[in-house]
Amino acid sequence: MTRLTKRLALVLAIVALLAAACTGSDDSDAFKIGLVTDTGKVDDKSFNQSAWEGAQEAAAALGAEADYIETEEAKDYENNINLFVEDGVNVIITVGFGLGDATIAAAKENPDIFFIGVDQFQAEALPNLAGLIFPEDQSGFLAGALAGMLTETNIVGAVLGTDLVPPVVAFKEGWEHGARYTNSAVETISTYHPGGLDVAFGDPDWGAATARQALDQGADIIFGAGGATGNGALIEIASQEGAYCVGVDTDQWNTVPEAQPCLVTSAMKLITPGVADLVAQAESGEFAGGNYLGEVGLAPFHDFDSIVTDDMRTTLDDVLAGLEAGEIDTGWPPG
Amino acid sequence: MTAPGGAATRPDLALASRDAGLRGWSPQRMWSVAGAVVLVALVWGFYAWDGAQTTAVLGGTVRAATLLVLGAMCGMIGERSGIVNIGIEGQFLMSAFTAFTVASMSGSLFLGVVAGVSTGLAMGWMLAAMSVGLRTDQIIAGTVLNIAALGLTSFFYDRGRSLGQPKYQSIELGPLADLPVVGTALFNRPPLTYLALVLVVVLHVLLLRSVWGMRTTAIGEHPGAAATVGIDVIRLRYWNVTLAGGLAGLGGAYLALESVGTFTRAMSGGRGFLALAVMIFGRRTPLGAYAAALFFGFTTALQGQFQLNDTFDIPAQFVGMLPFVVTIIVVAAAGLFGRMRDPAALGQPYEVR
Repeated sequence: MTRLTKRLALVLAIVALLAAACTGSDDSDAFKIGLVTDTGKVDDKSFNQSAWEGAQEAAAALGAEADYIETEEAKDYENNINLFVEDGVNVIITVGFGLGDATIAAAKENPDIFFIGVDQFQAEALPNLAGLIFPEDQSGFLAGALAGMLTETNIVGAVLGTDLVPPVVAFKEGWEHGARYTNSAVETISTYHPGGLDVAFGDPDWGAATARQALDQGADIIFGAGGATGNGALIEIASQEGAYCVGVDTDQWNTVPEAQPCLVTSAMKLITPGVADLVAQAESGEFAGGNYLGEVGLAPFHDFDSIVTDDMRTTLDDVLAGLEAGEIDTGWPPG
Repeated sequence: MTAPGGAATRPDLALASRDAGLRGWSPQRMWSVAGAVVLVALVWGFYAWDGAQTTAVLGGTVRAATLLVLGAMCGMIGERSGIVNIGIEGQFLMSAFTAFTVASMSGSLFLGVVAGVSTGLAMGWMLAAMSVGLRTDQIIAGTVLNIAALGLTSFFYDRGRSLGQPKYQSIELGPLADLPVVGTALFNRPPLTYLALVLVVVLHVLLLRSVWGMRTTAIGEHPGAAATVGIDVIRLRYWNVTLAGGLAGLGGAYLALESVGTFTRAMSGGRGFLALAVMIFGRRTPLGAYAAALFFGFTTALQGQFQLNDTFDIPAQFVGMLPFVVTIIVVAAAGLFGRMRDPAALGQPYEVR
């Protein structure tokens, strides 16, 4: 009886493991691209997904192969990178601030492989490692500026991933400063997920509940920034009539259709073209190490095109010009 | 023996106080009532001070508590029957997945809930088959459920799929919803929350007063003795663990179709384990567990609130930690004073001799 039991448990465990590990590889001489996600998932409908789409785009353009590994726990960063090193890939993309140290270490050990670190600021330049970074504060500022003009209750909210990740803080500071820039009477209420890196971007239930709390105290436009956690917030806001929500990283109109009833715009980081561009550089041998500044911007307003007046658009254009000229203080970096 | 505390040191009274609320005013009950009075006064005070924020926190509290109490009730039926269920997390996740998928494909939230509950029942039956039928180590059986659920839902998750309709929306219960303080928090909720509240009361009565409840307690405390009076221990354990799974299944459906409105991988986020803490904190009674779940939910809502208004500069992580610290204190204190005790046959497989 015990034997049967053990066998049953074993079979179930194997089924589960097989289901969980779904990456495969085949040998050929093609240019190979490997992508390691942060603890979010490759289909998180925001950050990791846009990087993966960039890798796929580059692969399609270059006739290369692209594969990914999802990181389950932060301690596996190094192992997952090394899996691709052993697999003989040409470019390794690591997605997320959290993988920064592991990526630098791997880049030093493997000078023949190109590394692209999304959201990883490089303090010192390595010839084979490019940090793809974005001025998130500017992206957040633009969205906040729009929010300041749209709010009727003069309360704007934000439901965010974690303050352990600087780009998230940059989004928040930019959002709040932007809202105050266009509306001096506005009150900003913002919340970070209290958990660590392993849960902060994968907790839609918390995001939804917290967004509801912000709505209950009068916020009528809320920024959801933090992977699945932020998506939970967006979907919750969609069920409140008259409230607006703002997505993050990609145009979430396409990635979170449930949020369409409230989604005015998204504070975008153009990760996909940034990643595709860097991979192409690596393939053509023009790869430069150091930091690569990606672009940011607001997503289209879609169904809400009519509520954004010409005056608002003019203001947004002025803000964008001011940000690009460095004349506007976004509150980030602090001090 | 000197007995300074009275009830606590006498096993017969300690036993009696386990189902306090049925036999008059034990010290424990007096404390509970006193605590409740203080709590109500505090809430009124805060409401008078800032109605919007108090409503927000109370709403968040009820919302977080619903999932926890469903999981805790699933756990307590199992434990009262002598079966540890640490697979609640997996039951939540799997049911959330099927509820979401079926609701999305059929376009009916109700069918989604049916699918979620059915999945919970199936997972409960699997746990029963392993731990009652095959007498596996119950911790391993539960772990198998958790791993299988994570793997299977991740594998079959179709990332392009969306619900295609709004999630369950709040229903106002007439004039009750206009009550101050609790109106929005209790009487302007989506349907599954109401269902969960009804289930808490019904199950409380059933577990503590019905023949089924007594038999369940008997097979958890002393299955051998229960068998001698003609209770089919194996059969009842099978039924209980399977049916309890339906509650976790309802929890999964609640998570996917009412609380969040979509499915994402690993979305249960450890709440199935939290439900076990809620169950222990609530002394394995549904009303107790609901009180514990409200407390856990309250701290969750509070830590968000502390950040939303910058009045108190308390780190979110500190408030987020509170329920766990309090659980440790309560469990440790209860253990020290001998007031809380696991069912005697908990975790032991029963073999018909």
